[in-house]
This record gives sequence, C-alpha cells and structure tokens, in this order.
Amino acid sequence: MQMQAETNLMSDADMAEEIVIETQDVNVFYGDNHALRGVSLDIPKHQVMALIGPSGCGKSTYLRCLNRMNDTVEGCRVVGKILLDGIDIYGPQVDEVLLRARVGMVFQKPNPFPKSIYDNVAYGPRIHGLAANKDELDEIVLSSLEKAGLLKEVQDRLHSSGTGLSGGQQQRLCIARALAVRPEIILMDEPCSALDPIATAKVEELIDELKENYTIIIVTHSMQQAARVSQRTAFFHLGEIVETGPTEQIFTSPIDERTQGYITGRFG
Amino acid sequence: MTDLSNKTGGTGWNSDHFRKNLARRKRSEKRFQRIGLGAILTALTLLAILMFSIFSKGYTAFIQTSISLDVTFNEAIIDKDGTRDPEALRHANYTKLVQESLRARFPDVEGRSNLRALFGLLSNDASDTLRDMVMANPELIGQTLSVELLAGDDVDMLNKGYIDRDLAEDNRRVKDKELVWIDSLKEEGQIVTHFNSGFFTNGDSREPEKAGIAGAMVGSFYTLLITMLLSFPIGVMTAIYLEEFAPRNKFNDLIEVNINNLAAVPSIVFGLLGLAIFLNVAHLPRSAPLVGGLTLALMTLPTIIIASRAAIRAVPDSIRQAALGLGASKQQAAFHHVLPLSMPGILTGTIIGLAQALGETAPLLMIGMVAFIADIPGGINDPATVMPVQIFLWADSPERAFVEKTSGAIMVLLAFLVLMNALAVFLRKKFERRW
Amino acid sequence: MSFYPFLIALLLLSAAGYWFGSKKALGAVRQSTSFLTPRPHQFGLFVAIWALLPPLLLGVFWVVFQVMPLQLDAGTNQQIDRVFFPVLGLLAAAGGLFLAIRRIGPDLKVRKSIEAVVFGILILASIISILTTVGIVFSLLFETIQFFKKVPMSEFFFGLNWSPQTALRADQVGSSGAFGSIPLFTGTLLITFIAMCVAVPLGLLSAIYMTEYASDRFRSVVKPLLEILAGIPTVVYGFFAALTVGVFLRDTGSAIGIDIVSESALAAGFVMGMMIIPFVSSLSDDIIMAVPQSLRDGSYGLGATRSETVRKVILPAALPGIVGAVLLAVSRAIGETMIVVMAAGFAANLTANPLEAVTTVTVQIVGLLVGDQEFDSAKTLAAFALALVLFIVTLCLNVIALVVVRKYREKYD
Repeated sequence: MQMQAETNLMSDADMAEEIVIETQDVNVFYGDNHALRGVSLDIPKHQVMALIGPSGCGKSTYLRCLNRMNDTVEGCRVVGKILLDGIDIYGPQVDEVLLRARVGMVFQKPNPFPKSIYDNVAYGPRIHGLAANKDELDEIVLSSLEKAGLLKEVQDRLHSSGTGLSGGQQQRLCIARALAVRPEIILMDEPCSALDPIATAKVEELIDELKENYTIIIVTHSMQQAARVSQRTAFFHLGEIVETGPTEQIFTSPIDERTQGYITGRFG
Repeated sequence: MTDLSNKTGGTGWNSDHFRKNLARRKRSEKRFQRIGLGAILTALTLLAILMFSIFSKGYTAFIQTSISLDVTFNEAIIDKDGTRDPEALRHANYTKLVQESLRARFPDVEGRSNLRALFGLLSNDASDTLRDMVMANPELIGQTLSVELLAGDDVDMLNKGYIDRDLAEDNRRVKDKELVWIDSLKEEGQIVTHFNSGFFTNGDSREPEKAGIAGAMVGSFYTLLITMLLSFPIGVMTAIYLEEFAPRNKFNDLIEVNINNLAAVPSIVFGLLGLAIFLNVAHLPRSAPLVGGLTLALMTLPTIIIASRAAIRAVPDSIRQAALGLGASKQQAAFHHVLPLSMPGILTGTIIGLAQALGETAPLLMIGMVAFIADIPGGINDPATVMPVQIFLWADSPERAFVEKTSGAIMVLLAFLVLMNALAVFLRKKFERRW
Repeated sequence: MSFYPFLIALLLLSAAGYWFGSKKALGAVRQSTSFLTPRPHQFGLFVAIWALLPPLLLGVFWVVFQVMPLQLDAGTNQQIDRVFFPVLGLLAAAGGLFLAIRRIGPDLKVRKSIEAVVFGILILASIISILTTVGIVFSLLFETIQFFKKVPMSEFFFGLNWSPQTALRADQVGSSGAFGSIPLFTGTLLITFIAMCVAVPLGLLSAIYMTEYASDRFRSVVKPLLEILAGIPTVVYGFFAALTVGVFLRDTGSAIGIDIVSESALAAGFVMGMMIIPFVSSLSDDIIMAVPQSLRDGSYGLGATRSETVRKVILPAALPGIVGAVLLAVSRAIGETMIVVMAAGFAANLTANPLEAVTTVTVQIVGLLVGDQEFDSAKTLAAFALALVLFIVTLCLNVIALVVVRKYREKYD
C-alpha cells in the first residue's frame, strides 16, 4: 500500500497533466433514447473533475460509463471509445468486474450494506482476495476508515451495524468501502445531495484530501460545490459537453453562453 | 343561512324535504355498515362452528378407557413345561389368560354367545399387553395382580357418553347384558380412563381403540422432507434467476406466465401428473413418500417462487449497486447480499407453501397413498400414508369410534399447521426490514 | 460397485481436485504480477466442478436411457449399473479433473467459468416449472387421445348418461359403460354456483367493511382470523360437510317435511363457499384498496355518505377487478376435490335441485383412479380426459381473470 502511494506521489509530481481516462466520441442509447451525444473528454490524473449541468443532461450517464455500471441497465448501448490507461474499457479483453475494482464508485444516497461497519469495508478486499490473512484485512479496514476520516468516530463500534450511522457518516463509510479495494479512480454521483451542510463540508474536505492519491470525478448539482472541490469542470447540456476547462475559468469567464446562463442561474 | 333556505323554498338545505332525505340517507348508511359487519360476523361464526364441531367431537380421542382386572398369570397356560424359554413364552396363549380373568370376574356368565360378548368388552390388544408384561418380567408367572387392559371400542364409546343408553336395544351397539357388566365394573371402580398415548405411537388399525396416527405423522414427515428438499432450492434458484439474471425476452416471459398459471392448476391435476410420470413412466414405488413428496414439490414450487420473488424484489437496488460498484460480479451481488437479505421473506413463503402441502390430500390419492397401512414407514420408499389422507380414510370408516379418531387427528393436523404458520409470522416479524 | 461408494469416491475426487486446484493456483497467482487475480479458492471450485460435471451428465443420460422403453434384459441392466456406469463415471471425473488442472494459469478466466456453470444451473431450475406444465399437458393429452379411441368424442361431450362400469365379459348387456359427461359438468356447476352464492356476498361485504369502515385494530384482529379459513386443509372441510352440515340439513329437512339427502349439493356447496370466503375477501380487499383515494375524496367532497361512496363510486370503479376475483374463485371451486369427494354424491344425477345429490368432475376422477385400476381401460382413461377438461377450463378462467385484473390495475397505476 505505502509503496504504491509513494510511487503515485512521485508520478504526480513528474507529470501533473497525465491523462488517466480518455473518452472519444461516446454515445449512449437507452432503447431509442439517445442520452449521450458524441462526448469527448480527457480526465487528468490526481485531480478532481466536476461534471455539472441541469437534470437529465447526461452527466450521471457519462459517469456510469466509466465503470460500466450502465451494463446493468437493460437496453443500454454504449458506442465510442473510453480508454483507461490506453486500454478500451469496452473492449473484449476487459472484465467489467475487475474494471469496477479499479474505478470505485460512491452513490447519491448512502448505501451501506446492512452489515457491520467492519464487514462493509472488508467486503471488497474479501471478494478480490486483497488480504492474505485476518491481520492484513484488519489493516486494510482500519486504514481505509482512517483515510475516509471515519476511524475516530467508529473505532469503538466497528462491529455494530453500518446502517445505524448518521447520513454523513454512512456516506463516508461508503467512501471508505470504495477505498478498501485500492481503486485508482473514484466516481462520485452527487455524493452530498442527501446530506446536511455540516456533513457535506466534511465530505468535501475528504474529497480534497483524497485527490492527493486518487483521481476523482464528481457529479454535482451544486455549482458552489464544484467550485469548492474541483480543479477542472465539464458542463453538460442535453447530452453533450458544452464546455470544459479549469474550474476557475469556467466559473469566471465561460466561453459558451449556455454555460454562462447556467452558472448565473438563468436556467437549470 | 335562513335567507338562503327561504329563497330556495322546498328544496333548500334546511327544508323538511332535505332533512327527511338526510335522515333516510343516514339510516341507509347505518344499515349498510351493519350488513358489512354482519358478513364478517357470519364468516367468523361459521369458523367457530367448524372448530367447535371438530373439537367437541375430537377431544375425547386423547382419552382412553381401560378395564382394570385381576389377572392370574397361570403357569399351566403360559408355560406348561416350566422352562421359561422366551420362544415358548412369546407364543403362549395369552388370549386364554384374558378370558380366564374375565370369567373369574363374572363367574355366572354361561353360553357361547354370552361369553363372546363378555370377551368383547376388552380389546384384542389386551393379550398383547399381557405378553409384553411376561416377556419383560417372567417372575410374574404364577402371581395374580391387577392389570389395566384396553377396553373395546364399544365400551370406550359408552364410557365417553357417545352411546345413548335409552335407545331400544336393537338399535344400540351395546346390549343390555353388556350394560349390566359394564355398570358392575364401574361400581367396583374397575373402569378407568387415561391419556391415550397410543394415539400418538400406534400405526393405523382396523380396531378403533388401537388406531393411532404415528404412521401418518411419520409418512407426512418423510413426504414433507422430500417436498422441502426439492422445492426450496429449486424455487429459490428460479426466483433468483427471474429477478436478478433473466434478460427480458420471450423465453423468460414464458417461464413467468407459466409459473403464474401453475399456481392456479387444481391440485388433483398434479396427482394425475404424478401418476402418469412418476408411477407409470419412471416406475417409482406406489404409495411411497418419495412419490408423494415429488408430486407435492411440483405443486408447492409456484408458491415458493412467487413468495421468493416478492422478497427478492423488496431488496432495494442501492444494495446491488453498492456491491457492483465495488467490483462484485452480478452473481456475487446476488448471492452475497440480495439473497441473505431476502431470506426471511423466502423462508416465510416456503413455510406457508409447505403448510399447504402438509394439508393436501387429493394429489396423494392419485398416487396410491390411500391404502390401509398398519406399519410405521421406515423410509421414503416404504408404503405410507399422510395425516390428511389418514383423516380421509377414517372419515370413511363406519365405526362410531372412528369419528372421534378423525376429529382427534384433525386437531393434531391443525396444531401442526398453527405451529408452522406461527413460525412464519415470527420470522416475518423478527426479521422484517423496512427500507 | 453400488451407488453410495461410487458417490463417496466421486466426492472425494472432487474434494481432492479442490485442494489441488487451490494449491496450484496459489503458486500461479504468486508468480503473476497483474493486479486482482482470481482467488485460489475459485480455482479449487473450478477444478471440483470439472470433476463433478461429467459424471453428473453421464448419470442423467443413464437415467433417461433407463426410462426409455428399450428392451434390455435385467442382467445386462445390472451389469451396466454395477460395473460399467461407475467405472465410466469415475474415469469421466478423473478426465475432467485432469483437464481442469492443466488449464490453471494466470490467463484462465476462472470466475467467469464458475459463474457460467452457476448460471446454467439457475436456468435448469427455472426450466423445471416449464417441464411441469409440459408434463401435465402431455400426460393428460396422451391418455385422453387413447380414451377417445375407445369412446367417441360426441358421447363424452354430449352424452347425458355417466356410468363408467367396465364389462367383465365382452358379451354382457350394457357392458360398454356410458361416458356422457354432461351430468358431471352440471353437477360441478351447481355446486360451484352454490359456493359462489355463499362466498361472493360474504367475502365482498367483508372486504368492503374491512377497507372502508373497520378501524386498524379491528382489521388487525379479524383479518388473520378470516385467513384461518383459508389455511384449513380441505379434507377438514370435507369431514365437516359430510358429518355436520350434511346431517344437519337432512335432519332440519325432515323436521320441516322436506326431503334432503345427506349428500346434497347444498351441503357440499355451502362448505366450499365457506372455504372460499377469505379468498374472495382478500382479493377484493386488494382491489378496493387500489381504487385511488382521489375518487373517494371527490365523492366525500360532494357530501356523499360512506355507503353512497362505496356503492356509487368505489364498487363501479372496482367492478372489473372484482369480476376477475370472482372468476379466480370460480376456478378454485371447480378444481376443489376433497370437499366434494367426502360430501357430494357419487352417482351422476342430471338435476338442478340443490337438495339432491350430484357428482362432480373431480369426484369422478378420484373414483375412477382410486383403488385397483387396469391401465388402458376406458374407465381409467376417462379420468384423464376429465382432468384435461378441468385443466383447460381452470386455465382459461385464470388467464381471463389475470388479464382483467391487470387491465384494471393499469388503469389506476
């Protein structure tokens, strides 16, 4: 674990703008519904990329393409290329299950398993065989909870149910659970929409810390949140990417007038 | 208000006409409500009558009448040679011993037909009782002691008050002379009643006083075991397949429609299926719990599938998403998370399905589980009957004493059903999860 | 070798495969550098499955082969059973084991292979329900065709006389037996009609009271009580109908000078109706609950009383659903067996008088098939023909009812 983290840090310093995910002309269809139209987007390593846009604009659909969660939706078809480290994740050689281990996901509503806090975090390492014995597993669970900033709060009740936590704690538990599989990329689908402001602040803080070691892509409804946590922002509208660039630029001097309209609150 | 009503005259809100109409509507409302309540009460009354008629007839099945007699274990009858050879003891004439005891009690009874009537007071089980006593303790030979022997069914019925003494002798199963003997025995305190443990330990018998439901209970157990072993895994697998893995296509729609229709096929049709396939094609043994269990498993399958699907569907999608998002495969998500979470619901449905199977009669008649079987079955291939079929068989028997046995067997069957349903309710209440 | 040692040998073999597979995989995984390789125990499972599947398939083949009407003499059969099959089975298991172990390596998609097998098993389980239907249809159809070779269809469907005795001698007078099933159908309909006269009003009114008037507490006590009626085995109802209701009706009849036989259609029908009350009431309960609150609110808003709302708004809105529920109940009554076997008559009587004894389709099926049967006699085959008719009628009623109810539900969803 630590070795990996160190190499990651080094590479981060060397190539600040290394691209992890490259999407080229991606189209998504739900049955007859053309949900994404020719989306191309590059996602740089170890940064937070925010996807913003009005409801139904396709930002969640795009997010779910990145770890092939769309495969579980019946009648969904993805056309185009999504390259992860240069490999097409929709290619025949790729096992979507292994892909999802590399590309973790945090959902809109906190969804801990109705099991103990420990078992929630340990589930991923168990199915993937990441720990050779109980001690290693303990180590993974504790360090993941630590990274998610939850360890202090739950240290003395690791074996009580995960569903007994507060909403914000549950969401951080879900993040810890995702971290335990050692992903390289974490997808977050409106992770704070079900949380109160204080819990939201904690999660945002956490996102900021995590970007040191992980690439994070976050879908959000809140433009303030996008401005607070992300380095780059992509604006989606009606299934297309309208504009993408450094967050500051998008919010201060957007080029497209649809972007301007959205961030100034004229529609959305 | 007054203004308004005055203006509108005869049809206003305060007019006589309106008030009368309102009162009529209120009455009709009351009437309607009473009719509804009446319907419910009628249904409940019918239930109460049913229960009462069974219980009032059946509770005496758990009591048994015996006659206490002084029996002399006469060595000349049991063991002429005095060898105490167990073989000789086993085959000795214990009936004679019983008859001697009765004659000793009623020395003035003469004549063959009178004597036969006298001997009829006791069940022919009495000699077996004496044999067992001697076999267990040969020291008894030569002694005289008071032994309680099982009474015949007529004495039993009379003692329980099911035979009307005031009836003309010709219409009465117990004749006048027998009444005299019985009354004499009663006066001496020689007629005693006990809890009828034989009812739970004996197999079926042509003699009502000896008939028990042990054979039927064991048969039901084996049959239900087979049913459960087959229908539970197959039902759960089908439900998982349909809910978690089946893509929407013609084939899976067919499976679905098919299951819904199977749930409504009359049970007797499953019996014919069992007869045609399991007996006539596969040549499995007739009357065996194996075939009964197979047949009932096919019948129970739709119930279990439908209940399991509902339980699986109740698990929220977010759980599946969470597992998939961590890199679990679809099957891992289903077997690690969805299945354990839906298990209480699945078990509830399974128990209810099995309770139905336990009470089912008609299909088993078709595969020959309706024969008279006195032995307690020792395995799934032995000829056997089950509790509801035993009830059916006894209900068909002419002896008055079997009415009591039938009702008693029904009470036992209902007790099992209540237990199973209580377990289902308990599971549901204990593990119910609101999402 | 008999069955159990063979089975134990097979299980031992696959357990060994599991152990060996896990061990070999552990080495292979250690050597590979790629991230997230499958777990060793998955390799073990993979090998074990490969050891079990081939002999299992072989076994299925052998069972099917034995059932087929092939003329093998008993000796050969036993030979195959005792020697040939176990040896071949163990060889197949060993072969599968060997191949599986050879395939272990970093490139093997072991999870996918295992899941493909699991998926196959799930599909097989699902197919059993289809096989059941196919089995029902074919076994009934096959025997029915045999039946119609012996008895003309016109007689069966239009004949008024049912007395299925088989002849002892071919030259006996009236030996052929009569297979006119009209009296059975009329008898079934009469009893079903009586049952519905009891169950529909009581069930429906109970449901209305439960949904519209009863307090939650009343509901929570009374509903389970009513459900008890549905949980009582039919044989108990049969006993009740024959011994209590039948006798009661006969005695009451003779007291007021009406001749009622103790096996009257009335007794059987009444008790059957009793059994179906909770069926009707819980179905109607669901259906009345599905009527949207807005309809009720609209009616109350106009100043209608509860009963007016029920009669003028809710019932008309729920009518299609209730019709569907009644159809389901009818199909239930037609297929009910034990009550009529124990409480209705056995002689076929063409009458509409509920005080007389009639017989039903199910009673005749039981009567024809219980006891000693000679296969291929018209008497036995007739039972299958009757069952086919029963199956088709109940199936049609159900399909219609389900379509009606679904249409109704869609309207308010």
